[in-house]
Amino acid sequence: MYEQIASNRAKTVFIIIGFIIFITLVGFAIGYYLDWRYGISNNYSIILMIFALIMALIMSFSSYYYSDRIVLSLTGARPISREENPRVYYMVEGLSIAAGLPIPKIYVIGDEGMNAFATGRNPQKGVIVFTQGLLNNLNDEELKGVISHELSHIKNYDILLGTIVVVMVGMITIISNIIFRSLIFGGGSRRRSSKGSGGGILSLILIIVGILLILLSPIIATLIRLAISRNREFLADSTGALISRYPAGLANALKKISMHSEVKTASSATAHLFIANPIGEKSKVMFKSLFNTHPPTEERIRRLENMSLGVGIK
Amino acid sequence: MLTGVISLIAIIAGIIILFFIGIGIYNLIVSLRNKVDNSWHQIDVQLRKRYDLIPNLVETVKGYAKHERETLQNVINARKMGIDAKTVKEQAKAENMITGTLKSLFALSENYPNLKADQHFLRLMEQLNGIESNIAYARQFYNDMVMKFNTRIQTFPGNIFARMFNFLSRDYFEIEEVLAREPIKVKF
Repeated sequence: MYEQIASNRAKTVFIIIGFIIFITLVGFAIGYYLDWRYGISNNYSIILMIFALIMALIMSFSSYYYSDRIVLSLTGARPISREENPRVYYMVEGLSIAAGLPIPKIYVIGDEGMNAFATGRNPQKGVIVFTQGLLNNLNDEELKGVISHELSHIKNYDILLGTIVVVMVGMITIISNIIFRSLIFGGGSRRRSSKGSGGGILSLILIIVGILLILLSPIIATLIRLAISRNREFLADSTGALISRYPAGLANALKKISMHSEVKTASSATAHLFIANPIGEKSKVMFKSLFNTHPPTEERIRRLENMSLGVGIK
Repeated sequence: MLTGVISLIAIIAGIIILFFIGIGIYNLIVSLRNKVDNSWHQIDVQLRKRYDLIPNLVETVKGYAKHERETLQNVINARKMGIDAKTVKEQAKAENMITGTLKSLFALSENYPNLKADQHFLRLMEQLNGIESNIAYARQFYNDMVMKFNTRIQTFPGNIFARMFNFLSRDYFEIEEVLAREPIKVKF
């Protein structure tokens, strides 16, 4: 348990540092290109690098503090009151006591699909999100299983890492998109008015675009895979079973969820947060193995059913 | 001469390292003990909530079922026992009694249709049910913490520190009968 928390914190720091270095390097690369075009004396490379560094620092800082809110609004979740659904409030309250955690906030996504996730930067700021379909279709024991699973993500600090990854990956994608577009379209119009030689610039643009693409895709893939090492789902399943003391509850819930887990507002950026894959099978043919964010449900159910209780509490 | 100096340095270094390891273990035990205390506090919060509701409940029932003096008195006595309890074992015993007497009180309400229909009574019953299951959850967390703490101070090398600094094993918060684990069933 404590190793898990330490490793999640270390990975979060690693990802933030990686992000800052990456953005700074991109700034430097663009500046270097401008220097090459308009002359070294302008010092574009240094100026842009410092600018990019400051931007990266601001972005990492804000993503640490606001990523949970960003994720909540991305998925279209809204808070619900105790009066609206006293049943889920009672369960979350009781299980938080059993897990020794502060009581998290409860949000709901108005979607018929059955799914859930947790977010927040620490247990004090924890949020659990359910879809309406999940609340409607699971019985008490099953819902308790799901809540316990999400509470163990909160306890392990999986939520911090998972949530920050969403925002960082999103930002990198947006930035690379902007650069990509401005290099292709913006570069074209400038070329006519400037004194630079056309052929050289074109090849350079291609080189930069190429480098960016080469750099970006493995970084994004690694970030996602780092964050979601599929073991953490197994771990949350077993820790969750220790909280609810009833592994069959989660096993039955997973059986139901696996039949209809699609959530319309989920995207590949947020998919790894959910308890079961929220993206339909059809849409991910190409990168199926690369972006397999969740272990096969049958395997998870099998492990839960094999779990005998009272075998040591970690 | 030289070997003497080296072995002296090695011995001193060894003692320093052992000293720091010792500090680490000591701190770990203390932080576990604090966790046990804190988890006990979680139970306590729920127990106090229940103590606060019981007089209210007794008054409500009195209004409809004057003749059930004995059952009501049992509830009141059990509550008093809970408030006066000093040790974990006493507390656990008292709480088992409260749960039991509340159960017979609710069973008794079956004979009084007017009481069963009383909104105030229904709300109290619902609240007590919620508290009952929260107590069960809090007890689970407390017992987990006690197990961790006891294991640490009963196994090597924690047991040495336990003897040196007088860390005592804590009692589990136990319930007598398996049935008591179930929350009170509300029938309408």
